[in-house]
Amino acid sequence: MITIKGLTKTFRVAHKAPGLAASFRGLFKREYRDVHAVRDISFSIAEGELVGFLGPNGAGKTTTLKMLSGLLTPTQGQAEVLGFVPWKRERAFQKQFTMVMGQRTQLWWDLPAWDSFLLNKEIYEIPHRQFEETVQELATLLEIHDLLEVPVKKLSLGQRMKAELACSLLHRPRVLLLDEPTIGLDVVMQKKVRDFIRAYNQRWKATIILTSHNMEDVSELCSRVILINHGRLLFNGGLAELQTRFGPESLTEAMRNAFGAVDTPIVV
Amino acid sequence: MRKYWFVFSIYWQEGLQQRASFFMERFRSLVVLISFYYFWTALLAHRASFAGYDRSQMITYILGMNILRGIVFASRTYEIAGEINHGRLSGYLLKPVNFMAYTFFRDMAEKSINSVSALIEVIGLSWVLHVGIRWPHQASTWAYFLIAIVGAMILNFIMSFIMGCWGFWTAESGGPRFLFELFLEFSAGAFFPLDVLSPKLQAILKMFPSPYLVFYPLHVFLEKLSPAQVINGLGCQLFWITSFGIIAYVVWQKGVEAYGAQGS
Repeated sequence: MITIKGLTKTFRVAHKAPGLAASFRGLFKREYRDVHAVRDISFSIAEGELVGFLGPNGAGKTTTLKMLSGLLTPTQGQAEVLGFVPWKRERAFQKQFTMVMGQRTQLWWDLPAWDSFLLNKEIYEIPHRQFEETVQELATLLEIHDLLEVPVKKLSLGQRMKAELACSLLHRPRVLLLDEPTIGLDVVMQKKVRDFIRAYNQRWKATIILTSHNMEDVSELCSRVILINHGRLLFNGGLAELQTRFGPESLTEAMRNAFGAVDTPIVV
Repeated sequence: MRKYWFVFSIYWQEGLQQRASFFMERFRSLVVLISFYYFWTALLAHRASFAGYDRSQMITYILGMNILRGIVFASRTYEIAGEINHGRLSGYLLKPVNFMAYTFFRDMAEKSINSVSALIEVIGLSWVLHVGIRWPHQASTWAYFLIAIVGAMILNFIMSFIMGCWGFWTAESGGPRFLFELFLEFSAGAFFPLDVLSPKLQAILKMFPSPYLVFYPLHVFLEKLSPAQVINGLGCQLFWITSFGIIAYVVWQKGVEAYGAQGS
């Protein structure tokens, strides 16, 4: 379902030394340096798996997801999602996956979520009947029936996240890339979002990659985790295996130890 | 195609929600229109013509200019650079949608909202001030005029789209865009007819695509061109549309390759 081999992404970023003099120098001669966001990562995920993709801030998680979604072209390496090369951005591929970024919304701010739903219905060319059924199902699971006709700007963060999830899933994607879907939500809402993700995974046999700094998201949803840091793969295996090796006491401890102690990949 | 008409519809809905911005923009346009009207009325008060325009021709040019500003220049392509720089472009790239077509229909919504309003303003002003408009004598002029407007609209959209794509390579596209728009409106004849300028400057400006945005369509409307000149003008429009269309395609492809999806 998802296979990546030797995936590498290097960004060329402008570099400026501190101070006014450096700013003046930068007017005429700008210095650049390479930032290695992702280095030689390989893994594969089978259909229906729900995998946690974890790492500290700046580890390369989001860059990897952006390559898998086709937003970024890698510097090196290969990837295949649903049999497609993501960065070719073929329509048939785009109709079968979705990417939800916890800090981003595709909902129209001034209009009710319904209007954003209708726009996605047209964009994804969803048949009318399927659209009606899916909206009913998602609205029931997420308990958002009453919110769909309220302008998005009037919704709370949690309500907006639920509407965002529904909007992203109207076309019944087979692959979900979820980038911190519970960020900023209170514990009750986090639980609801987690329950929904699990239900969607089971109902549609969807393949899901989840990034999160919330250990409850990981422990409740993922049986397998992939850890990266400084762009390198650190661990790829079962949750139980991770804890046995790095921190039997708690998942947080295991993660802390894995990120702190390991410089070479441990792939199970 | 249905998806793009829905884009058109949803931007209309959004435009109607944002009433304050809409009325402010129309007020600004009305002030500009009235200023130009009184300026040219005063200039032509004691003379039969100026730069080859009699009073009714000049007033028709000014009123037509106001409507064409709404049709040709009203655009949301200025948002493209910000969408690129702040990563909002990602939302479009993830979906099965052609971004250029999406932005074209977004622009169409903006243009239609503005041009309907501009038309109402012009009709209102003509009625209140008893302005004598110089209407075309020949029916075919209307057809050529409409084709020229559609061409102007497409040409301006493509050029503005290319300017928006600067955002792929720099976060400082605001300055160049401001200069571009200023030069474009001046050289398009959107401040005054280009005939007012010296023949040398006119000749230079006519080597650019901008005169085909306002000046040329209004010359067609005022029947100041021979049939051969009308056809030649349409051909030039087509040439610029094709050339800039190819450039836009290449720039977009290169831009998406360079896109860093920052902030998303």
